Amino acid sequence: MGYLRAVSPFLGAIVLAFVMQFGVAPMFGAYYQKLLIDIGINIVLAVSLNLVNGFAGQFSIGHAAFMAVGGYAAGAITYYGSFHVFGDALVHHGQGDVLFLAATLVGGCVAAVAGWVVGLPSLRLKGDYLAIVTLGFGEIVRVLLQLTDDVMFKRADIEAASVGTLALALGGALGFGGLPFYTSIVWTYFFAFTLLVIAVRLKTSGEGRAFLSVRENEIAASAMGIDTTRYKVRAFVLAAFFAGIAGSLFAHEIGTTLNPRELGFQKSFDIVIMVVLGGMGSISGAVLAAIVLTLLPEFLREAASYRMIIYALLLISMMILRPQGLFGVREVWELYRRPKVSRPQVRPPGSLP
Amino acid sequence: MAKLLQTLFDGVAVGSLYALIALGYTMVYGILQFINFAHSDIFMTGAWIAFVIAKAAGWAGGDTPIWASLVTLLGSMIFCGLLGFVIERLAYRPLRGAPRLNVLITAIGVSLFLENTGQLEVLFGTQPQRMPTLLSSEPLFRIGGVGLPLVDVVVVLVAVGLMLLLQWLVFSTRLGRAMRAVSFSIPVASLMGVNVDRVVSFTFVVGSALAAAAGFLYAMKYPGLNQPAHSTWILLGLKCFVAAVVGGIGNVRGAMLGGLLIGCVEMFGAAYLSTSLRDVYVFSILILVLLFKPTGLLGKATVEKV
Amino acid sequence: MSEPLLDVSGLSLAFGGLKAVTDFSLKLHKGELQALIGPNGAGKTTIFNLLTGVYRPQQGEVRLGGRLLNGLPTHKIAASGMARTFQNIRLFGDLTVLDNVRIACHLRARAGLFSALLRTPAHVAEEAAIREKAMALLEVFSLADRHAELSRNLPYGDQRRLEIARALGTEPKVLLLDEPAAGMNPQEKVALSELITLVRHRFGVTVLLIEHDMALVMKICERITVIDHGVTIASGSPLEVQGNPAVIEAYLGAPSAEGH
Repeated sequence: MGYLRAVSPFLGAIVLAFVMQFGVAPMFGAYYQKLLIDIGINIVLAVSLNLVNGFAGQFSIGHAAFMAVGGYAAGAITYYGSFHVFGDALVHHGQGDVLFLAATLVGGCVAAVAGWVVGLPSLRLKGDYLAIVTLGFGEIVRVLLQLTDDVMFKRADIEAASVGTLALALGGALGFGGLPFYTSIVWTYFFAFTLLVIAVRLKTSGEGRAFLSVRENEIAASAMGIDTTRYKVRAFVLAAFFAGIAGSLFAHEIGTTLNPRELGFQKSFDIVIMVVLGGMGSISGAVLAAIVLTLLPEFLREAASYRMIIYALLLISMMILRPQGLFGVREVWELYRRPKVSRPQVRPPGSLP
Repeated sequence: MAKLLQTLFDGVAVGSLYALIALGYTMVYGILQFINFAHSDIFMTGAWIAFVIAKAAGWAGGDTPIWASLVTLLGSMIFCGLLGFVIERLAYRPLRGAPRLNVLITAIGVSLFLENTGQLEVLFGTQPQRMPTLLSSEPLFRIGGVGLPLVDVVVVLVAVGLMLLLQWLVFSTRLGRAMRAVSFSIPVASLMGVNVDRVVSFTFVVGSALAAAAGFLYAMKYPGLNQPAHSTWILLGLKCFVAAVVGGIGNVRGAMLGGLLIGCVEMFGAAYLSTSLRDVYVFSILILVLLFKPTGLLGKATVEKV
Repeated sequence: MSEPLLDVSGLSLAFGGLKAVTDFSLKLHKGELQALIGPNGAGKTTIFNLLTGVYRPQQGEVRLGGRLLNGLPTHKIAASGMARTFQNIRLFGDLTVLDNVRIACHLRARAGLFSALLRTPAHVAEEAAIREKAMALLEVFSLADRHAELSRNLPYGDQRRLEIARALGTEPKVLLLDEPAAGMNPQEKVALSELITLVRHRFGVTVLLIEHDMALVMKICERITVIDHGVTIASGSPLEVQGNPAVIEAYLGAPSAEGH
């Protein structure tokens, strides 16, 4: 009984992912199906960054770099792995999906290791300084990826090449073209729903409250026995893992190219904006913001050159009119449960850790 | 030897540009504790306004009088100073005292707004342009076999002149004292009768004018102007921000030091190691400095009172 | 006499040239309630910061139950049984009253990250136990019916009491209270002194208290240590300390200063 309760939400994530693919997606055309995948990937990105920025209160603006690390790692595995297994880099359903799943998980792990390497020394830094280091790390990743060699596309060359050579043949500034398109609605939403289960379970457990205490007051948290550095690194690594998975989903999606420029600081900013707009620490807020901010530019497409101007103005006015984001720190299901909760007060400058 | 000297000149010229922009970041950070991401777009606007002025006046070629450069420079500085004033008034002032992340996102919003507004056809358009040559790039004189063009000399002289002016402004005037008071503590300064709003406005005007001057000088030295939303602008801005942080953010002299250091590191790295890794050097310096001296080279450590 | 529970000897700390604490020693026996008093800026909170690892002592030793705590990070010192409250209240403001205490209880929890994510039966049972323990603590401090409120919305006096409840959540052997009565009115102070006595007996904790209110200190403490400018100037029972000329001088100024 207890174990059923333990795993049933994860089973539910799988069922829901299939419902999205076969129940929801057929109602839309191909264009909107791609949009549905984009939304799912952005949900993974926003909810995972929320673990760092919203839960642990650490200010990372290099999330896209972890996405890039995971995406390139996974992409290299499916692309060059496909040549070894199938002799080409086309989509092979069944076996190929297994390869994709393995590659995605490896991509997540590589990103998590990168998160650990970056996080461990730099999480000693406070607030804005951490932000700058994550930004700098992102730029270094981007430049290094731009320096990689051209993608190999001849089977004989690939089979002859060593792993090291292949790991450096990632397409450079042009991007990693030719990846098989494995990313489907099922895969995207499987990971999105799994992350949501994890995030909600984290927020409502002692471990998750430890993250929150670090955000609220680091000195008090450590006086209560919370190893603040350890929890910060944990949040960072967990977030990087899912950013890596989102990177793999992005890499194997139809209509996107995995290239260093796409995953620069602008992408990181986009994700930060989703988290802040949703309300720092609010999981449902991050989901809603990911949906809204993925769709908004699409709705503004008619306005062409004014699109980004309107987007910018909306962003500024949102920050001025509703500074705590859509839901503040709360969840959508908590909004009407507690009538006595007052509006978060504006904090004096410098009071935010 | 000639290469060494040449690289040093380049490093100092670029470094003084970085320093000028870094000053804007550092002053705003010192007073309001936020990273003004839109500062790089003020710099971009400064360069483009210089282009618009020179183009409208029909100045081109190496024989334009020196006052043409001066008019362009001042025009750009005045425009951007006003722009900085308006931005602070409309976008940042309503958020005074709000969580830092919100202000940061607003700054990103302002940045997006400036870039995309600049791309409108009625303004700068979506195409790269070539800045008319106002200052000759012929070597003015030679030192150790290396020619020093007028552009580089002007870049360094104007940058150093403006920095000295700022130094005087911050440390020897009433307004400068008010600025330092506000950067120490906004509530205390306002209790002591300092008009905080005016000081903040003034800081934005000065910082933006300096960025515009840097934009003008940049356009002189590198005449191929990228379109407003091109990522080179933000990347340049980021490097200057890095310079401010490396020097110790909030510290005026630190920004100058950081700018020169970053400029030299970048140029020497590019000349002696690899050109394509120049951004990596800059960000690696940043990470190293922050890990070993988290408050920057000239920054003071602040201790949280428990 | 038995081994003291908390044994502090020769503790010193200087910030640059400023000697914040000089050669501070203190013995706290199990079940005792001692007070640390002194004028503003005497270095009392600095001593708390030294004991809890916020600052590292430059000289001296801190032993808790015989174990050397010097140089340990704050969270390890908390784990070894030392909890504190803060003079300038440091609650987890955007979290509920209950969550504030539950976070402290987490220190004694066993289940890790993965059992939390998998919701193992052991984890579920532990969460329930923690909730129960936290609610029981809130009950003692009459905060149980406000458990769902955000802690920053509590009135000031309640915030101070929540800080004590939270510190007790870590199951400390020694509880350090930093001016728990600051900003309270006389009735609240009386209630607080009763509460401290109650807590001491009910939870079996040993208490070290920083307090400005002399009446409160005299009433409930067994021993008082007085410091001024980081130096211990007197130590003894409330009566002994009260009559000590050095203490009077520190509080009222030197008697020879009459003709200034």
